[in-house]
Amino acid sequence: MGFWLELAASGLITGGIYAVVALGLNLQYGLMRIMNISHGEFLMLGAYLTWLAHTVFGINPVAFLPVVAIVLFLTGLAVYRLCFRRITRTSPSVEIIEARSLLVGFGLMYLVQNAAYMTWGADLRGYSFLADAVEIGGARFAGNSLLAFGFAVAASLALLAVLRWTMLGKAIRAMMQSPTGAQLVGIDTAFLHPAVFGAGLALAGVAGALLSMVYEITPGMGEPYTVTALIVITLGGLGSAAGCLAGGMLLGLVEAFGMHFTSPSLKMLLSYAVFIAVLLARPKGLFAR
Amino acid sequence: MRRTLLKAAVAVALGSASAFAGLAPAQAQDAPVRIGYAIARTGPWAAGAQITQEPNYIMWAEQVNAAGGLNVKGKKRKVELIGLDDRSEAETMVRTYEKLMGSDKVDLILPPWGTGANFAVMPLIQKFGYPMVAPTATGRKLLGMKNPYFFAILQQPDLMMDALGEFLKARNVKTAAVIHVDELFGLEQAAALEKSFKEKGIRIIEKKSYPLGVKDLKPVLNDIKAKNPDAFVALSYPPDTFLVTAQAREIAFNPKAFYASVGTAFPVYRDKMGPAIEGVMGLGTLNPKSSPAAKAYFDAHMARHKKEPDRWASAHAWAALQVMQQAVAKVGLDRKALRDAIAGGEFDTVIGKVRFRNGENATTPGVVSQWQGREFEVVWPPDRATAPALHPKPAWK
Amino acid sequence: MTLRELLGAIAAGALALAALPWLASDFLLSLALTCLMYIGLAVTWAMFSGATNYLSLATSAFFGIGAYVTAWGFGSLPYALVVPLGGLAAAAFAALVGAGILHLRGAYFAVLTFGLGELVRHAITYSEKTYAHTVGRVLQDAPESSVVYWTVLLVAAAAVAACAAVRASRLGLALAGIGADEERAQTLGVDTRAAKITAFAIAAFFAGALGAAVAVRWTYIEPASVFNPFIGFQTVLIAMIGGAQTLAGPMISAVVFSLLTELLRLQFPYAYLIVLGVLLIVLVLYLPGGLASLVGRWRRVRA
Repeated sequence: MGFWLELAASGLITGGIYAVVALGLNLQYGLMRIMNISHGEFLMLGAYLTWLAHTVFGINPVAFLPVVAIVLFLTGLAVYRLCFRRITRTSPSVEIIEARSLLVGFGLMYLVQNAAYMTWGADLRGYSFLADAVEIGGARFAGNSLLAFGFAVAASLALLAVLRWTMLGKAIRAMMQSPTGAQLVGIDTAFLHPAVFGAGLALAGVAGALLSMVYEITPGMGEPYTVTALIVITLGGLGSAAGCLAGGMLLGLVEAFGMHFTSPSLKMLLSYAVFIAVLLARPKGLFAR
Repeated sequence: MRRTLLKAAVAVALGSASAFAGLAPAQAQDAPVRIGYAIARTGPWAAGAQITQEPNYIMWAEQVNAAGGLNVKGKKRKVELIGLDDRSEAETMVRTYEKLMGSDKVDLILPPWGTGANFAVMPLIQKFGYPMVAPTATGRKLLGMKNPYFFAILQQPDLMMDALGEFLKARNVKTAAVIHVDELFGLEQAAALEKSFKEKGIRIIEKKSYPLGVKDLKPVLNDIKAKNPDAFVALSYPPDTFLVTAQAREIAFNPKAFYASVGTAFPVYRDKMGPAIEGVMGLGTLNPKSSPAAKAYFDAHMARHKKEPDRWASAHAWAALQVMQQAVAKVGLDRKALRDAIAGGEFDTVIGKVRFRNGENATTPGVVSQWQGREFEVVWPPDRATAPALHPKPAWK
Repeated sequence: MTLRELLGAIAAGALALAALPWLASDFLLSLALTCLMYIGLAVTWAMFSGATNYLSLATSAFFGIGAYVTAWGFGSLPYALVVPLGGLAAAAFAALVGAGILHLRGAYFAVLTFGLGELVRHAITYSEKTYAHTVGRVLQDAPESSVVYWTVLLVAAAAVAACAAVRASRLGLALAGIGADEERAQTLGVDTRAAKITAFAIAAFFAGALGAAVAVRWTYIEPASVFNPFIGFQTVLIAMIGGAQTLAGPMISAVVFSLLTELLRLQFPYAYLIVLGVLLIVLVLYLPGGLASLVGRWRRVRA
């Protein structure tokens, strides 16, 4: 593979990691207007569960992914029942749902993060898994980042398909457009709301599990990932599964090529500049509907 | 509802009054020696602080109390630690030290974690006159403040980089590529490294820097790999130390010498990278094989905290406590006398004899360590080495 | 209360608080300083974002710009000059970017303003590294803590007064109109663009001045610590908990929140954030109008 292809591939893979991070929040915020600022904290929980399962019980992290998804889905149902149900029911408008869920998210962030600090301590943690390089056409990529990339693509496509072509997807979209209208035509929002929220947390957890294979983890790791997720979903267009993937990839590519052509010092500057430029040109993201 | 709210408000108000009033200064002779500090338990500084620093404080206080107390000029008094979370925030940290020194008037203070935090307490320790021996603060700028109460016990950048230069020169390394993080630490280390390499005749064929928080350095490493330097030096912080190691391995970039900075001495580095790190070098001062005292320290840390200390600044944190302890034994808790005792004395610590000159540790040399098997072996200088160096570095596993 | 009475009350309150350095310990003084800092940040945030519903996360950018003006200017310029300069630099920045971004709405605006903070942070890091060969600045001979306190008090009081004045002015009406329905406000002949930019810049001025004033306490100023996103988040949190549509709400909330956090931190040095998190959630769920609504409720009960 040529040099340019390798550079592009490297950027795409990093972009895939950004997309993975954003998937769950995109469901919750993009589709339900629940600004779950504690997204990164649940990602962290997924990472710690996987780390624990692998280092203490010797469980294969990939085999453990479904467990993480289920545990976080159930956590999501509970969190929704305790915190967000009241907000979605009592708030008069979407803006108020956004604002109040943001505040509750802050509370959850403190709560979950601190609980993790107390349980596991602030130390960095990590384990080595699938770190061996896989050679593709002369270029070498670590197995764990390829896995994260593959998951990002597969999950985004699956989401896209579900939302577009299934009854469930239609129901969800209807619910987003008009909650009352959806109820009138017989859509069970009392079931759908918590389920979508839970699915968001499950995706966050799986993202955390995948990241724990690539990077080291700490209880404070969540916040930067929340920020990454927010940037990716606004860049792509809120609620758009394709946009989320494209947004992540774009950032990854900008970084890889930016690093090569300018200097790595400029890389953050470039990413934010591109992000701001895109939003100025397209105020509702790349895949605005 | 209203009444309970009111009650809660009163309770909070009363609680805050007692909390903010602080503890009255101890009067009785055998009252405990109160030692205060603020350190990160949450936020971005917490990982470093909790690996390197606070576990030592806790273990030290327990050991001292188990031995009957702190020897204050011949009289044994128990130690009471007052440790608070600084939330990785400069303002919160400054406020906490103002409380400890200005309002609570604790007997001694221990330093916070990190160069930036140590900078921020500098004016306070001078104003209130508390000596402070800092294990996690490096930089000429810090020492340039010439604060008479500040003592840096960690090796400064020029020492560490010079040791690396000497080590590489002795192995006939001719060319090197350097990357560094855009932080005070990275810049000072890079400047020291350039100076040292120039003296040693090692040519730097590539030098790049990157901002904190990068998630990918592969394109840079690929460029460097193409230039094929003898040595690769990353003047990095923990997340990027892990990142460059993993990505260099990923692209099979295997120079004769591979050096990364903060974080290589952490046990988690070995856990995360696995056997791949055989032959990777980094910042480290000692390991259990260095001396019986070091072995005792590692064992005690393992027994108390169920984890190993790191192999660089942890031992310096412990040594800082030993310096305090020995100075207090000699002159008691008069802080002016304590400062003079630290400035003028010689102390027997886990990192060897320590003396200070102009606030800087003048005895501990620059050290190069290298992962071999499951241990971070000291490979330079020769009189501190715990194992011969592996050079050239074996291929990544 | 008329505007004149209100301004009088603010001045009287500030005068009373000015006595604190003679009465309180170092610690209480610095705690008061934190409260004042967040009062200043939260009321000005609410003045713009609360009224217009444009959720801005740019506070940490403004604060950091102000702090960096201190980093550059302190030592060669007097402290009394550095503080307003910090405010002006932040206000100029806000006016400049505001012209470009104030047509974005909702989350797009929020995340973009956050991105701005990061952009400035990285730009400063890069230029410092490239042209000054350093990343941080050391401040020697910082002013006495009482001087810093009085400065922050003055800025915070001016911020509250400015917000009170804005609320009573045509600009305040225009902002509220934008918050209620921007298009309608436009058709009614309000120059919404000018109103938004002006308010954004006023808020930035005070955040910048506060950053410039407080930064001297930290001795070492580097982009990573002064462009701390946490400061921006905390400001939003405080203002919204207090009730961002009111003037008193964010002030009460800044004091309550700062004192409560500190109290919990000192009492439960390990678990305080858990307690804080739970309190926050309960508060939002059962007191949707913010702390300001408590005052209203209290009045109704008494009446």
